[in-house]
Formats: sequence, C-alpha cells, structure tokens
Amino acid sequence: MAKSITFIVTKDCQLACKYCYLVGKNTKERMSWEVAKEAIDYILEREQEFNEESVIWDFIGGEPFLEIELIDKICDYLKMEMYRRGHHWFDSYRFSFSTNGINYHTEKVQRFIEKNHNHLSVGITIDGTKRKHDLNRVWKKQDPPPTSPCKGREKLPIDGKHRADTIYSPPSQGGAGGESERGSYDDVVRNIPLWLEQFPGAATKVTISSPDIPYIKESVLHLYSLGIKEVNINCVFEDVWHEGDDKAFEQQLTELADEIIDNDLFRDHACSFYSEHIGKPMDREKDNQNWCGAGKMLAIDATGNFYPCTRFAAYSLRSKPAWIIGNIHDGIDQNKLRPFLTLDRTTQSKPECIDCEVASGCAWCQGENYDAADTHTVFQRSTVICRMHKARVRANNYYWNKLFRKLELEGRREEYEKQKSKVKETTC
Amino acid sequence: MLTYLIILLDDTSASYCHYETSQKERRLIGLDDLKAGIMFAMKENLNIQFVYPGYELPAEYLEVIDSVDHTDIKPSGHSDGADVVVLNGWDDEVPEGTTCVIHSSRQELAEHLPVLTSWLGRVARLNIVLTDVETFTDTAIASYKQTLEAIADGVVEKYKAGKAVQLNLLTDRLMLTAMNNCGAGDTTVTLAPDGRFYLCPAFYYEDERQNVGDLTSGLDIKNPQLLRLDHAPICRVCDAYNCRRCIWMNRRLTQDANTPSHQQCVVAHLERNASRYLQMKLSDAGIQLNGSRLIEEMEELDPFNIVNRWK
Repeated sequence: MAKSITFIVTKDCQLACKYCYLVGKNTKERMSWEVAKEAIDYILEREQEFNEESVIWDFIGGEPFLEIELIDKICDYLKMEMYRRGHHWFDSYRFSFSTNGINYHTEKVQRFIEKNHNHLSVGITIDGTKRKHDLNRVWKKQDPPPTSPCKGREKLPIDGKHRADTIYSPPSQGGAGGESERGSYDDVVRNIPLWLEQFPGAATKVTISSPDIPYIKESVLHLYSLGIKEVNINCVFEDVWHEGDDKAFEQQLTELADEIIDNDLFRDHACSFYSEHIGKPMDREKDNQNWCGAGKMLAIDATGNFYPCTRFAAYSLRSKPAWIIGNIHDGIDQNKLRPFLTLDRTTQSKPECIDCEVASGCAWCQGENYDAADTHTVFQRSTVICRMHKARVRANNYYWNKLFRKLELEGRREEYEKQKSKVKETTC
Repeated sequence: MLTYLIILLDDTSASYCHYETSQKERRLIGLDDLKAGIMFAMKENLNIQFVYPGYELPAEYLEVIDSVDHTDIKPSGHSDGADVVVLNGWDDEVPEGTTCVIHSSRQELAEHLPVLTSWLGRVARLNIVLTDVETFTDTAIASYKQTLEAIADGVVEKYKAGKAVQLNLLTDRLMLTAMNNCGAGDTTVTLAPDGRFYLCPAFYYEDERQNVGDLTSGLDIKNPQLLRLDHAPICRVCDAYNCRRCIWMNRRLTQDANTPSHQQCVVAHLERNASRYLQMKLSDAGIQLNGSRLIEEMEELDPFNIVNRWK
C-alpha cells in the first residue's frame, strides 16, 4: 500500500471553476521552501511511523504548476534525502499532479517532466466539449492591476515573514476589468497532444455538477476523440442537486452507454461511470470499510500544518473550522487521527444507507461529510448524492445488460472477459 | 434513553467531574427556569440531580427544590443533607457514610494513599476524578499501575476487616458486565443557570454556544446516535466497563465525541487491570463478591490498536 503525502503548495489558481470546493483560494498562502524542507525532514526521519511500502508525493493547489520551481526543488531534495538516508521509499515513489493543464507546455514544467518522467503521474483536467468545459472552468476575474510584478504573490516562510517572488502573470481577460467570463478550454486542449505523447495511458478527471448534466454524453465522447482512453468522472459531493437532475443524469448515461457499446468503444476506452461492481447490497460486517482514505493520507499546507486530507484545510471548508492534526514543529497528534482510523461504513451511515439495495459504489467524501455535518464530527455521512447514485446504478445496469447481450450474440463474451480492463473508481 | 437531568444551580456550583468552574462568578439560575426545569424532568420522567454552589441558596429556591424527589450534590463545607459531597482536597474531613468526590492528580493520589485508605472505611463510596488524564504519557504507566495496586492492597485489608468498599477506580469494574459510562447526552442532560440545556456541565463551562436547546424550545441534540456506545467504534469493543467515556474529553483531544483519546483508554485499562489485581487478591484472601465475574487478563491498554488490527 502506498502512503499519499500531499503538499498544498499554493492556494492560488488561474481558474475560478464554479464547482470548485475550495472556498478559500487566495494568492497569499504559498508554501515556502523552509516549510517544505521541514515537512520532508519530519516525514523521512520517521521511517517506522510512515512504514507503507511506497509513497505518492502529491502536489496540489490551487494549481500546483504555478509553483513549479518550488516543486522542482522539493522533488530534488526528496530524491536526494531518500537516497542519502537509505530510505525504503527510494525507488518506490511517485510524484503526482492534478493540473488544470494551462502551464503544461511551459519550459519549466517540461524540464521538470523530462527530469522526473519515470516517477511521474500527471492528470490534466478537461471536462469535455468546449461548451461543457467552459461552463464551469473559467478564468478567474483579474485582480486590480499590480503595482509591481510580485504584488499579491508572496510566499509564507516558516517565520511568518513574507518575501516577494515573481512567477506568473494572469492572462488578459475578455473585457475591461474582466467582467465577462472566459472559459479555459482552448488554453488546456492545446496541451493535450503533448501530454498524451508523454503519458500515453493518461486519464483525465471530469467533475459533474448540476448544470453539466446535459453535456455528459458529448463530453465523454469528445474526450475519447482527443485520444484520452480513460475518463474518470464523478458527481460532486456537495449539495448542488436539483429536482429532476437524477432523471436527466440517467438519460445522459443511458445514451452514453448506447454510444460506447454500439460503436465498440468499450474495447479500448473506459469510463468510470460504468462498473460491474456497483449497485449491489452491502454486508454490514464484511463490507464495512470506510470509502475514503482521509487519515491514512497526509496533507501539509503553507503554514506547516498537517491535515488528514486536503479537504480538511480551511480553504476547503465552508462552515467548519480546519481539522488540523499537527504541524511540522510539534509533529502529528495521534489522538486527532483516531476518529479517521476507526471510521467504518455503518457507523457513519444512516439506516437507509446500511440497508440500501444498491449501496455498493455509493461514494462519499469525508471532508464534505464533516463540512455538512450537524456537529463537529466525521461520523455523519452526507446523503445528498443518493438520487444521483441510484440514477447511475440504473444506467449502469442498462450498460452491462446491453453489453453482455451484444457480446453473447456475437459470441465474444468469453473473449471480452479475458481482455477487459479494470476501471478504477475515482471519487475525489 | 434519557434518565437523568442535572441542574446546575449556579455558575459556581461544585464541579463533580473533569471540568473546572473556577473562572466563573456567581450566577444563580432564575427561579422560573428552575421551576421549568423541574417540570421538564417530571414530564420526561427524569431523575434530578441538583449541583449546589458554596453558599446558602435563597429560601424560595430550597422550597422549589424540595418539591420534587432528587439527589443533592454539594461542596464540602456547605454539605448539610447532601447525597454526594465534593471534597475540597485531601485535607478535608470526610462525612461518614456519604458518597464523596475528590479531584486529584495522579501524583497527589500516590502521595495520599494512607489518607485514602482511612477514608475507604468511612465513606459509603469514593469517586476519584483524575485531573491530569489529558497529560498522561506512556512513561507514567508503571507508576499509576503501582499506585492503583497499592490502593487495591488497602481495599483488600478493608474487606478482610469486614468493611465493604466502593471506590470508582477499582471496585466498579468488579460488578460490571457491560459499559457503565457517563452517558452525557444519552442518559443524562444538564440544565445550566442560563436556562439552556447542555450535554454535560463541561460543555457549558467551555462554551455556552454548545447548548443543545432550552426550556422553551426543548432539547435539540444533533447526532444523538454518536453519543451512544454502539456508534463508538473503539468503545463498543472494549471491556474497560469502568471507563467514564468522557465525550467532552473526547472532543477536546480527538475532536470527535465518539472517539476516546489514547490517554483516556490507557488510564481506564490500567484501572480495569488493577480491578483484576484486586479481584485476584480478594480471591486469595477467600473473599468472593456476589455478582463479580472474572476479569480476563489483558495486555493491550488501548483498544484502538485492536480495532485497527481488525481493519
């Protein structure tokens, strides 16, 4: 099992995606090298405590590639230190990025990719067709013109004193003062060929919110047409859903199923909406694991605070205080991890979820559960996604019934079973 | 099921548990709130426990209190007629045949073993509230174990002398076959001098915004299931039945009410294991307590590790 360790290197992003759960994005909180180094030293010094067989060093924002120079320095230091210490993670690590793709082509990012390619996973988020993508993934409105190139882009060193740095300039907006929304599709799609050339098996991550529903089918097909073979897609966990969304969602997924099956796309493409393993009842004892990995992961922010997952940092939370489990100076408070490490499905679920006939595959986000809970707890599962899950299950059942019948009629079922690829469930 | 209503008569009412009240100035509960609280308890079939301050209450209050069957928890020095007396410290005179509560650090406890032993023959029951559970470290395990076993030796001598002893840290576990915890928010709720309900007095003294309803709108406990044993993943597999399972301390140390801290688990297990030690010693002395079941030997002091091994 791999340990996932996330550096929240910046809370800034060029975009202001409408479904983004990050409510506290800002240009101020950028990780300093001092904080990053101290965090690394803390973790690598405790090899017995962090004893997972491998590690994923994850970099997140905001947009992580805004901090490519810092990330490059962090990764160099990590490699050097893991080697110097004879750490068991040396040669058993990956650097992982989920990026909006806008800066992907830049020289600094490309140099970093070339240097670390064998240990690198990069996912570019593109939501589908231009109209679907640009519906949500829009450039943020430009701040007032800076008086100097570095205004509003300060790093927070460990001693709390700011220092200036210049890294990027936001693009000009569509109109004076940035009143009109400018989608980011064109700025991302131009980098897709380069990305797929460098990472041929790369997958993209698509997020669905209420306004996106009418564009699901065309968007997945569009992503396939761009050469992306794996589309990991999920509905947001926040309470954004309206009456009738489930019906429209089911319709989109049913039509998408027809397209994938009728055009034989299922042979070498995958869409995480469809899985043979979802929509079944779950045993309250045998299937009692928590869905989410919060607490088994570790996140570090610019001030050096530790979190059980990035979703518990203040910038991710609408209505609850940050759930801090320690910091780089004092270490991790194991007491504050105990709720996460004892979480199971049934304890946090309502009776209707425990007894649900189509429970399997119904996901949750621990951070959203906490944020939406009536009390300060991670043990109250949010169920706002219930109708969407049930709609997905109905469309999923249709998909597999149709696909298997087709394969049987064509005498290809056995061949398919041997060759089918496993589609991973993506939830965050 | 809700069974008890604790009514704090004043902000300076004696603390009979882990919380502190020393920061508070006098604020007597409103007479109308007191009457309404009693009415609430009567209609909900709740047993009332009044917690008194260290001064004489006005006569009209005493008259209202006396209108209902109840238990009185009073501070030492103002304890006439008390069912439970909260002692000021180890130098106090203990009232004969009464249930007493004393706050003590582990160090103080270790230093006052002769006093404690003398008390055990005189009080009906003694509840020791450790004031430093939160700062308990694993390096203190051996010394606390030693203290508890020394107390157990004293308890055995009392039994040999024909005196029945009740000491929460050691004798409760002997008779328990299931969890018997504080029950804040589950079996017990508190009415504070501000006329609002709280899960327990500690939540009131910590932050009045943590109220769970008031006398006008009634009780409004969110996520009540998380206050029950069956929704506490660590506690429901544990047999330290003597543990207070303090949800206020849970919130302070682990941030979740249904999850105990390592410290609370270890302290409760040391007391559980000392109860077993006492059980063995009593057995060696040929003393069998009616209803006492054999406490199994156990090395693991934190059931969190057991739960985690299963996962």
